[in-house]
Amino acid sequence: MKQALVDDTEDVSLDFGNEEELAFRKAKIRHPLATFFHLFFRVSAIVTYVGCDWFSRSFVGCFVTVLLLLSFDFWSVKNVTGRLMVGLRWWNQVDEDGKSHWIFEARKVSPNNITATEAEARIFWLGLIICPIIWIVFFFSTLFSLKLKWLALVIAGISLQAANLYGYILCKMGGESDISKAAASFLSQTVFQTAYLQRQQ
Amino acid sequence: MAEAAESPGDPRTTSPRPLMRDLKAVGKKFMHVLYPRKSNTLLRDWDLWGPLVLCVTLALMLQRGSADNENDGGPQFAEVFVIIWFGAVTITLNSKLLGGNISFFQSLCVLGYCILPLTVALLVCRLVLLAKPGPINFIVRLFVVIVMFAWSIVASTAFLADSQPPNRKALAIYPVFLFYFVISWMILTFAP
Repeated sequence: MKQALVDDTEDVSLDFGNEEELAFRKAKIRHPLATFFHLFFRVSAIVTYVGCDWFSRSFVGCFVTVLLLLSFDFWSVKNVTGRLMVGLRWWNQVDEDGKSHWIFEARKVSPNNITATEAEARIFWLGLIICPIIWIVFFFSTLFSLKLKWLALVIAGISLQAANLYGYILCKMGGESDISKAAASFLSQTVFQTAYLQRQQ
Repeated sequence: MAEAAESPGDPRTTSPRPLMRDLKAVGKKFMHVLYPRKSNTLLRDWDLWGPLVLCVTLALMLQRGSADNENDGGPQFAEVFVIIWFGAVTITLNSKLLGGNISFFQSLCVLGYCILPLTVALLVCRLVLLAKPGPINFIVRLFVVIVMFAWSIVASTAFLADSQPPNRKALAIYPVFLFYFVISWMILTFAP
């Protein structure tokens, strides 16, 4: 009896808005706007920083523009694109006695739930990892070319982007509170896969 | 939507309109700085957007119009930026080393938001500087800066002092005093 009831409700929910959901599930990128903005602010910040001398001769204008773009990127990646594209989120919570906790969550995968597509996940992580690396390259180039007035901006850029990267990596690791354990398991997985592939050849 | 079905976590992140929520939080904190009351809002829901906006505003307004075209206020802008953030970080480290039970970002948040009165002082000073220069001009600016300086100290002390053990309060407040003094000095000695 109970089984029949459950089946009934399942049928009802499937028929409701079926076509839209099917199209949604089939789409390679389910959140085009979020994907666009995830990359837009990061890439614009880098492009503006690099092309500063051509756009305008004003140090201050360039500095403020890049800083604003970096801030918008930080906010949108932390609050919007991470949640929509890969189902991860992280935040800080201060409880009653003033202790601050950092909380990292990953959305549980279930058949009823709409999970992230591979394309979105790949774009998300690539964007998240490559940009801080580029900013670190900028750091060394600024240091060695002695254009020290840009150092503050580059350091701000590295901190903001690295903060998001670190937060999402911790979300992804989920229950693993120990970074070395997670790294070891990831490495062993990769080695196993490589050995298996080599054996196949 | 998916948010409602997710685990009951922080109510902030399950809100469907995070932008409005964050903007309102920033506005609320500005109000709390203007009317300092014993409340936990600045500490509980910290964010660094207000300090960033204030820092950039302060650095922009403290620009000198330089005769040399190449030197278009570059060093002064970055200087103000570095002084504010480095100063705030140093004060935070100091208060943590003294055994305060406030977190790193909470302290940065309070110190950053309490720069608001000094930013207002700078606005007023710039307006006053449009008038005829002279001793009266200077005295008016001095008075405004001193009042706003006191306001900043009172506002930040209201939030920070509680987190320190009683015999360390003066040791923790003294760097805050220095920090706002340096900023007030930059504002007072500003001449376009």
